[in-house]
Amino acid sequence: MSQNLIRNFSIVAHIDHGKSTLADRLLEVTGAVGSRQMKEQVLDSMDLERERGITIKLNAVRLPYRASDGQKYQLNLIDTPGHVDFTYEVSRSLEACEGALLVVDASQGIEAQTISNLFLALNAGLEIIPVVNKIDLPAAEPERRRDEICDLIGVEAEDVLLASAKMGTGVAEILEAIVHRVPPPSGDPDAPLRALIFDSMYDKYRGAVPFLRVVDGSIRTGMTVGFGASDAEYEVDETGFMCLGFQPVGELRAGEVGYLTAQIKRISDTRVGDTLLDAENRASELLPGYQEAKPVVFAGLYPTDTDQFEELRDALAKLQLSDASLHWEPETSTALGFGFRCGFLGLLHMEIVQERLEREFDLDLVTTVPNVEYHITLTNGDRVSVENPSKMPDRGRTESVEEPYVRVHVVSPAEYIGGIQKLCHERRGEYLNMEYLDTNRVELRYDIPLAEIVLDFYDRLKSVSRGYAALDYELVGYRASDLVKLDILLNGEPVDALSVIVHRDESYDYGRKMASKLKELIPRQLFDVAIQAAIGRDVISRTNVKALRKNVTAKCYGGDITRKRKLLEKQKEGKRRMKQVGSVEIPQEAFLAVLQVGD
Amino acid sequence: MLIDPPVSGAAPPASLYLHFPFCVHRCHYCDFSVHRTSRAPVEEWLECIGIEVAQWFERVGWSRPVRLETVFVGGGTPSLIGGGMSHLASLLDGWFDRTTELEWTAESNPASLDVAVAGSWRRAGVNRLSVGIQSFDDRVLRWLGRLHDAAGARQALDAARAAGFEDVNADLIFGLPESVPRDWRAEVGRVLEAGVTHVSAYGLTAEPRTPLGRRVQTGEIRMVSEDRYAAEYLEAVEALVQAGFVHYEVSNFALPGRECRHNWHYWDGSPYLGLGPSAHGFVGGTRLWNVFRWEAYRRALADGQSALEGHEMLGAGESRLERLWLALRTNRGVAAGDPLLDRLVLSAADLLESWGDAGWVHRDEAGLRLTAEGWLRMDTLVAVLGGRMGQHESGEDPREGDGIRESDRA
Repeated sequence: MSQNLIRNFSIVAHIDHGKSTLADRLLEVTGAVGSRQMKEQVLDSMDLERERGITIKLNAVRLPYRASDGQKYQLNLIDTPGHVDFTYEVSRSLEACEGALLVVDASQGIEAQTISNLFLALNAGLEIIPVVNKIDLPAAEPERRRDEICDLIGVEAEDVLLASAKMGTGVAEILEAIVHRVPPPSGDPDAPLRALIFDSMYDKYRGAVPFLRVVDGSIRTGMTVGFGASDAEYEVDETGFMCLGFQPVGELRAGEVGYLTAQIKRISDTRVGDTLLDAENRASELLPGYQEAKPVVFAGLYPTDTDQFEELRDALAKLQLSDASLHWEPETSTALGFGFRCGFLGLLHMEIVQERLEREFDLDLVTTVPNVEYHITLTNGDRVSVENPSKMPDRGRTESVEEPYVRVHVVSPAEYIGGIQKLCHERRGEYLNMEYLDTNRVELRYDIPLAEIVLDFYDRLKSVSRGYAALDYELVGYRASDLVKLDILLNGEPVDALSVIVHRDESYDYGRKMASKLKELIPRQLFDVAIQAAIGRDVISRTNVKALRKNVTAKCYGGDITRKRKLLEKQKEGKRRMKQVGSVEIPQEAFLAVLQVGD
Repeated sequence: MLIDPPVSGAAPPASLYLHFPFCVHRCHYCDFSVHRTSRAPVEEWLECIGIEVAQWFERVGWSRPVRLETVFVGGGTPSLIGGGMSHLASLLDGWFDRTTELEWTAESNPASLDVAVAGSWRRAGVNRLSVGIQSFDDRVLRWLGRLHDAAGARQALDAARAAGFEDVNADLIFGLPESVPRDWRAEVGRVLEAGVTHVSAYGLTAEPRTPLGRRVQTGEIRMVSEDRYAAEYLEAVEALVQAGFVHYEVSNFALPGRECRHNWHYWDGSPYLGLGPSAHGFVGGTRLWNVFRWEAYRRALADGQSALEGHEMLGAGESRLERLWLALRTNRGVAAGDPLLDRLVLSAADLLESWGDAGWVHRDEAGLRLTAEGWLRMDTLVAVLGGRMGQHESGEDPREGDGIRESDRA
């Protein structure tokens, strides 16, 4: 198809502002998906996404569309995730587009996260089509939202479309706007092949499957392709596009979006951001790659069953294929055995990875308390980075400790300012400024240590603002802080996986709360369990779990041995799921106890 | 549809359990198979038992008469059978050989046990009576929702003696919520004064599907503290042992020679046949159980079907855990020379030693057994040992812990 008839676009929107509904409607209206096949939110194909109502993985769908000018166009919708953790993935998908729909909820207005994604889109040089959605709702204020958008990105009022994806209102106008306002791709169809790998997945039967945006030239079945970043070469088995599953076509031409399969066994060959080339006619210049996403939150992932270590390694490798932002390397814990220290983009990202590992790979995992990366200057002048609190050097050898700070933007209705300021202050935040976006909505800016954000800041923010406040943040560098390592000892033995790094002023309170939370989470055992929180040699808090004195199913009536035996099996199984550290059995949840100390 | 349990050719069991599910009133802590009715359909129940017996003889091919060593009629409220017990005796005589050695126990509720009933049972052949005393304190009996009071409890025991019963068991419940006023030690003393030969002391449990369970769940009732539970248990053990009773199983005490042989058959792995709704049996190494509710049980048999609901055959690991648990319930424990003991020592010597130091297990030339303190923690101890044995042997036995289970009814 001629590039003039191709339009590649994505949708930028805040969670719940109706992105998925709009995507569904576009699929339906263009006939790409029959209404009978229409599952709710077709694009969110992972179970997890459907359950959480958020888009994590990118997806690219081709929509055939006959426009009012009588021409048949090929629209490629490249989905983007909406959560603050996934900014990196958003920029990946935007690179493959020429335009973006900016979807704003008609009653709630633009949120902080949308603004930052919008700027990503503007920076990528995309044509923005603003859409005010949910105009059917009673609380909708479409005119007001339209004015806000005009102020924000300097467009004319008539450029802002009004829609209700739910009712189908305005969808036709949106499709026309995509055709008329988004520029067609401008690559050279006759130049040597250059295609951007913007996503990748692993399929048991097809091997690694890269998703591509062809910039120049074309990909044909049977040709041999190579990569910018590896020496591997493969013969293309199949190439095609996505539309309710894989749709093979013989060729993907400049400007088109699709996939290829080539029995690619090595996951590392299809690196997201890399350029795909014609092996026999290599282009002289590669496409600009992506900036690699830097993990900011680290945690240890350990199999509950030590035999699953190798399985966990394979699972992480497969997951990394479709989630380039996931970093991992092997580590050992005296408490937990062999596992991996993993780097994540944020706490949600961590939860999602853990859930995917458990669900898709049937693993049973223990996760340690997430933490940030610290920069430490030793007394001998050496500088080291620490991603694992238990690896923190002794106090005697430490000159200074620096921790990462983030600049936090909170957009909220004005009535919640008090609560939000209090929260930011509790989290060692430094106030920067405050600005009214309109008569009611305020943007607050703070610099806050990332460590204070990664655990439960987002949840707390939502609770002090009744769900109205929106959060965005970016790293602003490292700053020195008075930080100490807090250790937890069980029956006198330090449990490395429970160590945390905290600010000295908060360490006592923290130690006390940790100890009492662990007391709740560690079940009573045959012997007393002494719990101590310590900084260096100073024990700052102690408590204990009293030994159990009664655990017997006394009655064994009428010869019903089976029922009691099953209870016993269950108890035995429950023990197997716990981690034995020294003489103490620790349930998996206890390793995340720190997440609950605020409760 | 029914799946035939793998019992063909199984040796006939010498023990028989019969479940009589009818009660006039349902106690709020009870989760047994109970059908509440003001008039127990004794005839119909006997008819069902007759059908079941016939089915069993046909199913396995036993030839009559099968020699019986123990019979236990539980419930429910078997004292509502009244004079019908002689019909049960004739029914059994059609199939079994009731030897002179036979131990025949029947449970009874003080409210429905008088001299007439006790006398007719004695004549029918019942020679061991278990009386659901539970308490000698009216406040406690009211809280438990029992139909009798303390005076009724004493009258029932008198009636048993008057009828000539030499073996009499009293059931007691301890571990009641601390909000229920009670002098437990004094009550144990009263049971001893009453001259019973056997005592079963059960801790109250809040089963989830009972009114009590729900009230505990909502926080309306607070169950006893572990310390209080343990203290009452140990008080009872001390008083009964001092009075000459042998503490021969977690909850059971008997004067020498007065232990319940039927119970022993459950614990030592002997086969037994279970008849009546919810009854469990152990035949040919297979555990089997009947449908739970009377109505479903009655209907199945009336339709010419079997009343069996399910059965299971245990894998090696499961069966080892079960045997360990059953053995440790009793004062025989795991005997020296039993391969199970070697296995325990091999995989958990360190634990056995520290538990010995803690006073929970006792090991001597006779074998390994739990002390009263150990019995208080029995489930955990067994689960830990079971886990250790599993670890130690994992990989050796491909059927480890992997039994076959089937539910015969959807």
